[in-house]
Parts: sequence; C-alpha cells; structure tokens
Amino acid sequence: MDVASAPSDAEVVARVLGGDREAFGLVIRRYEPGLLRYAARMLGSRDAAADAVAEGLVRAYRHLASCRDPARLRTWLYRIVANRCKSHLARRATADVSLDEAPPVADPRDTEAAVERAEQLVLVERALRTLSPEKQEAFVLKHVEGMSYEEMAAATGERIPTLKMRVHRAREALLQALEEYR
Amino acid sequence: MKLALLVLCVASPLAAQSLRTRLEGRVPAASIPVIDSLVQVAARESLPTDPLVQKAVEGGAKHVSSERIVKAVELNLDQLRRAQELLRRAGDTPPATPAEVITVVSARKRGLADSVIARIVAALPGEPRGTALHAVADLVAHHFSGDSAADLILEAVHQGLRGVRLLDVSSAAIQETQRGHTHAEALARIRSELPNVPAPPPPPRTTVQRARRPVASGGQQPLH
Amino acid sequence: MSTIDPRIHQVLDGEIQREALPPELRRQVELLEAAAALLAAAPKAESVEQRVMAALRRPAAPRRSRLVWWLVTPRAIVLRMRPVWTLALAAGLALLTLLPARVSRPDVGEEEGIAQFVARFPGARSVAVVGSFNDWRAGSIALEDRDHDGVWRGVVVLPTGAHEYMFVVDGERWVADPLAGRYVADDFGRENSLLIVRPVLQ
Repeated sequence: MDVASAPSDAEVVARVLGGDREAFGLVIRRYEPGLLRYAARMLGSRDAAADAVAEGLVRAYRHLASCRDPARLRTWLYRIVANRCKSHLARRATADVSLDEAPPVADPRDTEAAVERAEQLVLVERALRTLSPEKQEAFVLKHVEGMSYEEMAAATGERIPTLKMRVHRAREALLQALEEYR
Repeated sequence: MKLALLVLCVASPLAAQSLRTRLEGRVPAASIPVIDSLVQVAARESLPTDPLVQKAVEGGAKHVSSERIVKAVELNLDQLRRAQELLRRAGDTPPATPAEVITVVSARKRGLADSVIARIVAALPGEPRGTALHAVADLVAHHFSGDSAADLILEAVHQGLRGVRLLDVSSAAIQETQRGHTHAEALARIRSELPNVPAPPPPPRTTVQRARRPVASGGQQPLH
Repeated sequence: MSTIDPRIHQVLDGEIQREALPPELRRQVELLEAAAALLAAAPKAESVEQRVMAALRRPAAPRRSRLVWWLVTPRAIVLRMRPVWTLALAAGLALLTLLPARVSRPDVGEEEGIAQFVARFPGARSVAVVGSFNDWRAGSIALEDRDHDGVWRGVVVLPTGAHEYMFVVDGERWVADPLAGRYVADDFGRENSLLIVRPVLQ
C-alpha cells in the first residue's frame, strides 16, 4: 500500500471505535516494530518484550476510546507499552537486566562487514546497559525511535527539560563507553 | 489458643431490588420520590447511580432529616458531574466508567486539587487510578503538598509499582515524617528506595466475619 | 556538568548544523549516530499481531468475584447452608486463619481482602461496624470484647477497594474509627472513616 492511500491514525481509530475490530490490525502492523524494539531495549529480552507489547496493545484496544488525540496515537501506544515494561521490570527478582540472547554466532560465510557489525552491536548494547533505565529509555526514544522531545514527553509523562537532561547524560555515558571499547 | 471460627452473614438476594424497594423503610418516605428523580437524572447523564442511593440510605441509617438527605444526594450528584468533567478535561474520552468517576469523587472528597488528580489521570492512560489517587491523598492528609505527593507516586508508577504497592510508598513516606524527618527528607529517602519499599505485615489470625451488601452499578469504590 | 562538548548535543538536538563542528566533534556525533543505527537495525522480532488479534476476538469472561456470585444467587442464611457449602466454608476459613497470608485461601477470592477493626469503648454493651460494605445496616458486623477489657475487635472479609464506615456503639452512638487514619466528610456534618481493603492474594 503506498503512503498516499494509507489511512491516517485518526481514520483507523475511528474505524475501530465504529466497530471494525479487524482494523486494529493496521495499528499493530504500523507500530509493533518500533514498540518491540523499544521494549526489547527496556527489558533486555525479546520474549519479555513480546509479552509487554502484546499486553500493551490489548490494553490499548480496550481503552482506545480514551486516546485523547488519535493523531498522537503513536506516543499514546508508547506510553502504554512503557508502563507495561516498567511493570515487568518491577516484578523481576533481580534489578539487573541482561540480554537473554547471546549475540549471533558469526557464520564463516558472513561478510567481514556483517561480522564487524555484529561485534559493534554487542559493544553498543553493553554500553547501553551501563545506563540507568530512565536514560536508556530516553536515548532509545530519541535516537532509535526518532521521537521529538514533545513526543517523548507525551509518551513518558516526563517534562521536556528532564528528558533532555537524560538524553544528554545518556549520550555522554554512551560516548565514553564507546570510546573506551575502541 | 483456641481458634473459634465465627461466620456472621447477612445474606439476602438483593440484586433484583428496585430502587424504591431499597429505599423503603430506610429513608423518610417523603424523600423517596425526590431521591428517585435525582437517581434518574444521574442515569440519564451516564453517571453512576449507586453512590446516590448509598448516600440516601446512609442518611437514613444516621437518622438524618429528609431535607438533609435530599441535600446530600444533590451534593453527591454534583460531585459526580464534576468528576466526570475532570476526567474529560484530563484527556479521557467520555463516557467515563462508573469506577473511574467514583474514584475521582473520592479523591476530591479527600482534599486533592483538580490539578493533582488530572496529573495522575493523565499519567495512567488506560489504567486504573484508584490506588494512585488514594496514595497521594494519604500523603496530603499528612501535610505533604499535593504536587510533591503526586511527584513521588508518579515516580513509583514510573518504576513499575502499581495497586496497593503505591499505598506502601505513601505509608513509608508518612512513617519517615513520624520518625522525625522533614517532608522533603522523607520524600528523598523513599524516592531513593524505590521500588523496594516494604509492604505492611499480614493481618493477625483470628475469627472472621463476612459482610453483605447489595450489588449495584458502580457502587463500590474499586481498588485498583 | 557535561563531560562532552555541548555543541554535540546541539547538533543531535537539531539546534545547529553539524558543519559548524570541528572534525573531532563531528566524529563523536557520527559515533553516537552509528550506535543508534545499529540498535535500530537489530534483528526483527517476531510479530505479536496474531496473538493480539486472537486475544481481542476471544469473548470476554464476565469478571465476578465469588462474593458477588454469592450475593446474586438466592440462598439461605449461612446457618442453613447446604452441608457441602458449610463444610467448604468452614474448611476455607480454617485455612484462612491457619495459613500465612500469601498461601491460596479457598474462601477468599481474588477480589477480597481482610479488614481488621479494633476500638476502645469501655463500658459499651455492643459495638457494630456499619458502612458502605453492608449498605449501612447495623447488626451485620458485630465486634467482640472477649476479655471484657473494653477493647472491641473483629476481622471481616470484604471486597477489595475503598469503603466508608463508622462504629455504632450501643445501637445509637455513631463514632468514626479513631484508628482509621483516613476520613472523608459524610455530607451530614460528620466524618466517615475510610478503609482501603487490600487483596489477600497478591
């Protein structure tokens, strides 16, 4: 489907609220890659991320009528999934979050560039995990999910100056860690 | 210790009672038509009706005059409307559920400013807000400012705490002030302990009773 | 205090152009952007669409606590309960009183909790708890003063949530619970105590 004919978020929300339950599939397909990516960063596990995102999307469907501004559906969904992630984290026995999947083993047939990328990803993920959860979240929303500070404020409920401070601190810590690994 | 099991139940099939049946013999007869009409107004406005009936039977139980019962029911109808409006302004699309409206009424009755309630409502889209609001109200009742109380509870929410755990957070902060710390010190200490504030001890083992009350629409303040 | 040049933040926040930076700072900007690109390009996770849509299509089971079920089903007063229920209830209550709070209690549902009432009324002949949980009817929850020391106690299973109540002493004197800790105006010129019942099964 080309961009010009794709329905807007407001149109999709209106359809779902009008009784077209299957239209919610459009919302899922549109936003789950980013939500899964974000949740995986926050929880350190793709399985836990799938649980949190699935729970969040079901909750979003059931409370879709309370989405104040359908044009800002994306940030509303991120807020719901962020809350689910935090509930998952609070239920964990240990506060340490670590990726539960080992990095992919390099296949000898992989190009040198692919192997190098895999190694760099491990380094970046390790560096990210040195940050506090709030700073990780801020960095991911800003630089991985590409949100503006206004969108981040809507998604997290935090004030913009607080988010800016967290993003700045995250950049500093990440840069320091990346420089050390070089 | 001999443990006696004592069960007191007042069971009655009240689910099918009409409003008038519920009021007859409990409130002055002269007030029943007025209360009935107020309840119908609430129903037409998609507001929960059981809080109004509850207020009426409460007044009757306390032997309050007919005029004061009607006044109290009118006051509560107004409170329900204000709560519904607050939810709409805070971003919830109408109609709000009875539970949500009752929760906000309770929060306002406990002294929370509308701005504080709105912050909690907006921070928990699609989630229950009752315990968060009661947790903030507990702090305000112990002279914490509304905004600083909301800040602490929202921080706890941010760190994944929900439900009764939020009450544990406010209890912990209150206990800090009772130990002699200032409000600011108490907030800082508890914030630094989040999310690991202690839960209260379980209740002691003793005889147990059961309570019975009718089931009606949106009557009980939910815990969530 | 910032440990990196603030112009790096300004470029990444879109406030200035990267061409304004010296080469070393541009390199650091590119390092951060590359890290973000790696994170964004991480292996695609499995879609949850089927799982979510299956959940949405499933008919919702009505949420009822056993207490609510009990209320809407006509039955005799407990003393005349069918024997199997009496035994089950007694067994459940035995478990309730003998087991630690976190063990599953057959007779306390997921949406029920335990409320304790304690009050000092020396010389009183009776103390009842009356509130929103029993439709403000006196007589259904009576506290006991077993030691005759003026301290009246009772433990009640109630639905979870917030409840308003007062003590009624000797059938006529309405008193707010001094140990409640939470109060709300009753709109009749007095204050009700407010109780928040926590779920037993957490």
